[in-house]
Amino acid sequence: MRILIVGAGQVGFHLAERLSKQGQDVVVVDTSPEKTELVGDRLDVLTLVGNGAALPVLEEAGVRRADLFLAVTNRDEVNIIGCLAADRLGVPRKVARISNPEFFTEGSMLSREQLGIDLMINPERECAWETFQLLASEVASELFRFVGGTVFLMGLRVEDGAPVAGHNIAELAELLAERQYTTVAIQRDGATEVPRGDSRIETGDQIFLVGPTSQMEHLPALAGYAPYQLRRVIIAGGSAEAVHLAGFLEDKGVGCTILDNDRERCVALSAALPRALILHGDATDAELLDMEGVGGVDGFVAYTNRDETNLLSCLLASRTGARKVVSLIHRRQYVPIASRLGVDATVSTRLSAANSILRYVHEANVSSVAALRGVNAEAVEIRVGPRARALGRPFRELHFPAGGVVGAIVRDGAFIAPRGDDAVQSGDHVVLFAEPSVMPKLEKLFA
Amino acid sequence: MKPAHLIHVIGITLLALSAALAAAGAVALAHDEPETVDFFATAIIAFAIGLTSFRRTRLSRDLTIREGYAVVGLAWLAVSVAGALPYLFAGVTTSPAAALFESVSGFTTTGATIFGDVERLPAGILFWRAITQWLGGMGIVLLGVAILPFLGVGGMQLFRAEAPGPTKERLTPRIRQTATSLWYVYAGLTAIQVLLYVVGGMPLFDAVTHAFTTLSTGGFSTRNASLAAFDSPYIQYVTIAFMYLAALNFTLHFRLTRLQFRYHRDAEWRFFTWALAVAVLVILAITYAGRAGGAEETFREALFQVVSITTTTGFVNADYERWVPAGQLLLLFLMFMGGMAGSTAGGMKAMRLRLLLRHGLTELKRSVHPRAVIPARLGDAPVPEPTFLRVQAFGLFYLGLFAAGAFALALAGHDLVTAFGASAAGIGNIGPGLGEVGPMDNYGWMGPGSHLILAFLMLAGRLELFTILLLFHPDLWRRYARPPIMRRARL
Repeated sequence: MRILIVGAGQVGFHLAERLSKQGQDVVVVDTSPEKTELVGDRLDVLTLVGNGAALPVLEEAGVRRADLFLAVTNRDEVNIIGCLAADRLGVPRKVARISNPEFFTEGSMLSREQLGIDLMINPERECAWETFQLLASEVASELFRFVGGTVFLMGLRVEDGAPVAGHNIAELAELLAERQYTTVAIQRDGATEVPRGDSRIETGDQIFLVGPTSQMEHLPALAGYAPYQLRRVIIAGGSAEAVHLAGFLEDKGVGCTILDNDRERCVALSAALPRALILHGDATDAELLDMEGVGGVDGFVAYTNRDETNLLSCLLASRTGARKVVSLIHRRQYVPIASRLGVDATVSTRLSAANSILRYVHEANVSSVAALRGVNAEAVEIRVGPRARALGRPFRELHFPAGGVVGAIVRDGAFIAPRGDDAVQSGDHVVLFAEPSVMPKLEKLFA
Repeated sequence: MKPAHLIHVIGITLLALSAALAAAGAVALAHDEPETVDFFATAIIAFAIGLTSFRRTRLSRDLTIREGYAVVGLAWLAVSVAGALPYLFAGVTTSPAAALFESVSGFTTTGATIFGDVERLPAGILFWRAITQWLGGMGIVLLGVAILPFLGVGGMQLFRAEAPGPTKERLTPRIRQTATSLWYVYAGLTAIQVLLYVVGGMPLFDAVTHAFTTLSTGGFSTRNASLAAFDSPYIQYVTIAFMYLAALNFTLHFRLTRLQFRYHRDAEWRFFTWALAVAVLVILAITYAGRAGGAEETFREALFQVVSITTTTGFVNADYERWVPAGQLLLLFLMFMGGMAGSTAGGMKAMRLRLLLRHGLTELKRSVHPRAVIPARLGDAPVPEPTFLRVQAFGLFYLGLFAAGAFALALAGHDLVTAFGASAAGIGNIGPGLGEVGPMDNYGWMGPGSHLILAFLMLAGRLELFTILLLFHPDLWRRYARPPIMRRARL
């Protein structure tokens, strides 16, 4: 598949990286020579300097042969015009990153269909939604659902005294015979491992589990957490994400306090969110946080545009006693550090957007994709085809590539935890977990 | 810098080399020659070492930029040493330095030879000389990238370190496709040339070997008199045409296969072609004025020699040492230009020369308009500052190495003209020089010291100086850059 990506910023870079590692032919266009050079140096993709909304540039990039057009610059106008041009030149699928939904309000001259945009992604909204999901799911640092919600993939940080700590995978399988979880990855000190029977889980690890949604509530206890209910959330930083998140929280009846150190921004926020408490103050002001009762909140979210401020305020909040702290992280090198500092979960606006787009890209034969933060792996949901090579053969007889694992099988809506003797049937859904370079091999086995 | 990564890629290169050795062995077998054993023995050695290196190591991640440079430099050294073995095993020379010289001269597409009488060499050896040039022309590491699927980003680092010219254009989204496309164009042009030779009555063996050494701008011949041995204007014109094509940027040829005719739009192409045309006219004017002989023959000799030297091929159809000194000197200058960037030719490359010349003019202009903002340009397009600075550094290194090489050769006891001619012909990957290594001479009489000096110059020239010079730079191998403060403390 030939994929044209306009915009070599973080969203574009991430998409190009994932897609080229999956074996797609990727062309990246950006106006900045520095950014394209960086992309060309680090990834096996063709790069082109130019305006991705200009026809000659698109022609040069081979838009007529492209199967997919992803416009992900940080300027809505460029993305819209790019998609319009790509549509006229016959690209079958177009995705645009749009941060300002005002373009498409009712009665507007433009409609999504007229512009030929198949999917619109609002990164800030995607990020807020992901944060909301993380807050609502008690303690997970990552949460994705597959096969229409039957199966979940959850990331958990193993706390002190957790029942799973100190055991290896084989012991755990016996210990938890009635629970049908599969551990698909263990992350320690920034390195990810797809575990085997003798891999041990330690306190402080980040573990990724796949299991049936009906059993989800038991999981946090396994990792050493006490259950809690979401009642009040403090958001530090009144960004666009904060406005979206406050909206989601209010719909659920969760009270919400927003902090921002810009007075005018506070005025605008209070106008936009009449039910939220807006405070003018600094996110790292320990006294203010204490005064506003950060120790008693169920969730603390740091949403400022500086990673350092976010991490520091999260640290303050968690030391004071906030139950779950989530930080917005722009630089992905910080993600492993955040987890070590005691931040429960991190979100990234760009990664959320990229994930949504990837999910759409894979729609053709794959139902759902999740790329995990700071982890060199992704989860993919596949419907087993009638001519799949794995059909009817027990897993232990398949030559599984290293770095890949089957997390779950769903047959007729029922969850099956995969064991060595199991075999897939045509029509089953499987959730695969693998490093990006291994994923195509796994997909071949099952598709 | 992971040694396992270096060993892995060098292993791949040795595997490619063993295939070429087996091909030469097959040719020797077809001619019923005793050297068959030598080739297959070397092939097995290269294959065994290559396979072990390849199988025992793996790339745990993509190659870094440093690893790219280190691996290409070391792979070329390994291939040069392995390629010298057949000459020693077959006994055509007894000096290891001479065998290494011939091998390096082959892979770097120089075409300087230690053999005075190539017609007495067995067919297997002749074929081996030709195929080393053919492999070296497009780059043997690039061949590995083209054949093997898993060198994604790493492939780009290798491409950067091996491909000639200041700008490395990627043609397709995947570097492997780019490498494959370039090799297809290369092989296709070679096939066409073989066909044209055979139509002109050249024996198939000579046609193949000469096509190999033309497209790679190498210049090894199977005849003592080089191209003059085939007493046919047609064959010489075909050779001229293909030497010229080989010195053009292969990206342009690739575009042609996509039905895009881009030659005339390329500023470097215009400069290169004009320079060639002017040089031919000047040589005609100053060396052949008032000389007896047919007009066509005179024209063909001048054209052939100018194209052969400028494209750094080094085929010969006339003894240019009988020209007036001004004509010889002009040829020496042309040796410095070489072909276009992205071609198989050596030299400094037309693009760099043009940038440097134009920079000189720009500085003149800037003296009059001190506040003018004038970027370095190629055609109308500005060249990024880092690229231009690198071109400047390259120019200085090139001249510096040329001078150092000439000095070292003079120390080894050669006269001035020979030292300068051999140094220019070595670093420019041309082959025949001036003086005692002129078009009618060979390099066989030189001592082992001179052979090694020239082998180094040839490798440095083929790998665009930086890749070879970097091997001697401590920062390439050091894990951390040494903090400058420590250096000061030591004073």
